[in-house]
Amino acid sequence: MIEVKNLSKAFGVQKVLDKISFSVNRGEIFVILGESGVGKSVLLKQLNGLIDPDEGSISIDGVEITSLSEPELLGLRKKIGYLFQEGALYDFMNVYENLSFPLREHTPLKRKEIVDKVKKVLSLVGLEGVESKFPSELSGGMKKRVGLARAIILDSQILFCDEPTSGLDPIRSRDISNLIQNASRKLSCTTVITSHDITNALRIADRIMIIKEGKIAGLGKPSEIKSSPNAFIREFIS
Amino acid sequence: MKKENLSYIQNLIIKLGDNVCFFGEVFFNILRGRVRVIEVLKQIYEQGLQSVGIVIMVSLASGAVLALQGHVVLSRFGAKEYIASMVALSLVRELSPVFTALIFSGKAGARITAELGSMSVNDQFLATRAMGVDPIEYLIVPRMLGCFLVLPILTVISEVAGIAGGYFIGVYEAKISSVFYLNQTLKSIRIVDFLSGFSKVFFFSVIIGWICAYQGYNTKGGSLGVGKYTTQAVAYSYMLVIIFNAILTKIILSIWG
Repeated sequence: MIEVKNLSKAFGVQKVLDKISFSVNRGEIFVILGESGVGKSVLLKQLNGLIDPDEGSISIDGVEITSLSEPELLGLRKKIGYLFQEGALYDFMNVYENLSFPLREHTPLKRKEIVDKVKKVLSLVGLEGVESKFPSELSGGMKKRVGLARAIILDSQILFCDEPTSGLDPIRSRDISNLIQNASRKLSCTTVITSHDITNALRIADRIMIIKEGKIAGLGKPSEIKSSPNAFIREFIS
Repeated sequence: MKKENLSYIQNLIIKLGDNVCFFGEVFFNILRGRVRVIEVLKQIYEQGLQSVGIVIMVSLASGAVLALQGHVVLSRFGAKEYIASMVALSLVRELSPVFTALIFSGKAGARITAELGSMSVNDQFLATRAMGVDPIEYLIVPRMLGCFLVLPILTVISEVAGIAGGYFIGVYEAKISSVFYLNQTLKSIRIVDFLSGFSKVFFFSVIIGWICAYQGYNTKGGSLGVGKYTTQAVAYSYMLVIIFNAILTKIILSIWG
């Protein structure tokens, strides 16, 4: 479903990604692990066409996205939900307006249907009754939940989550990981998560990819990663 | 030394090019009819409401000061009857368009940059693109169109307020009859006088909208960056409004006199 070949990206002299290749199967939860600053978020943004790669190819459902223009990418992104690290909710909109925004933009739903849909996704992320609150009135964890609700509100077939548990305590991290897992299974969507939260990654992922110095250090099922003989991986997950 | 100069010039050219591309993108969105009327109306309301009070106060005071100075100077020549004409023509031809543009830039322009800058550092533009929506169309075009439509309205309000300020001084301080003052005001302003000032406002509104939206859209560096880019936006728009005012005044005077 998502096919990445020889992808490279550098910022100035700093090479962030160096000819990496991998694929993500339809319906699986694929977690990209790595130390902070290793280029996980950059990789995720490239998968969505938000950053152009220096070289290499990325295809989603057989469509080569590196050759698409911005208007074509805008069309493609309607099918992809994206949860940003800090939620990236609009400050000037309340929760209801934030969540209804993609529906108003991309669906012909009537007001009543939009209200129902917003309530439904909010209940899915365990946040009923916060529709009138503004992002500044929400905690970090709540912002991420609202961000997740916005990412799944269009019933997208692909979900990208950028560091969904960063800055959260272990209990909230587990909760938000469970929510992503539930939403992903319920919507049968392909989910790519970047994280450095090893515990939750090993718990919810179908496959894990570990990046080190721009290259893939390990790729496999959680059980394979746990039993990897690679010294870096053993140290990373310990 | 040479290399440094070259790199500075290169950077300047790149920035100018980026500015032009940004404006081009906004312009093409408008040409293609990608204008969200409700968002534009919201901007007109917010930008207008934010600036109208201060525009009225400053214009009233400016009109009053013009009349006070006019009273002193013109009385020396026994020509205090011309206070009304002097106040009206100064305001309509020059002061109201420039004062309003500067006030608008400091209030609404700064707000646009700060608002967009905060969105930029919090990934909200990226989020907009990630949701399949063009941030230029949704967030920039309405703000720039808002500027273009609000500034002319504020200028007319400023002219009326300034004339009112002059009227109070003319009537109560210089003891000119109310009817005479109003008659003189209406008689002295020709359509050419009004247009020579008013036409500049459209250029100012484009300058302010362009600079403030561009600076906000390209803000980097967290909350410190928001402060830095907002200050830059106001400083650049002040500078360019004053410079373009000089250029436009020369052109307009050559055409209309």
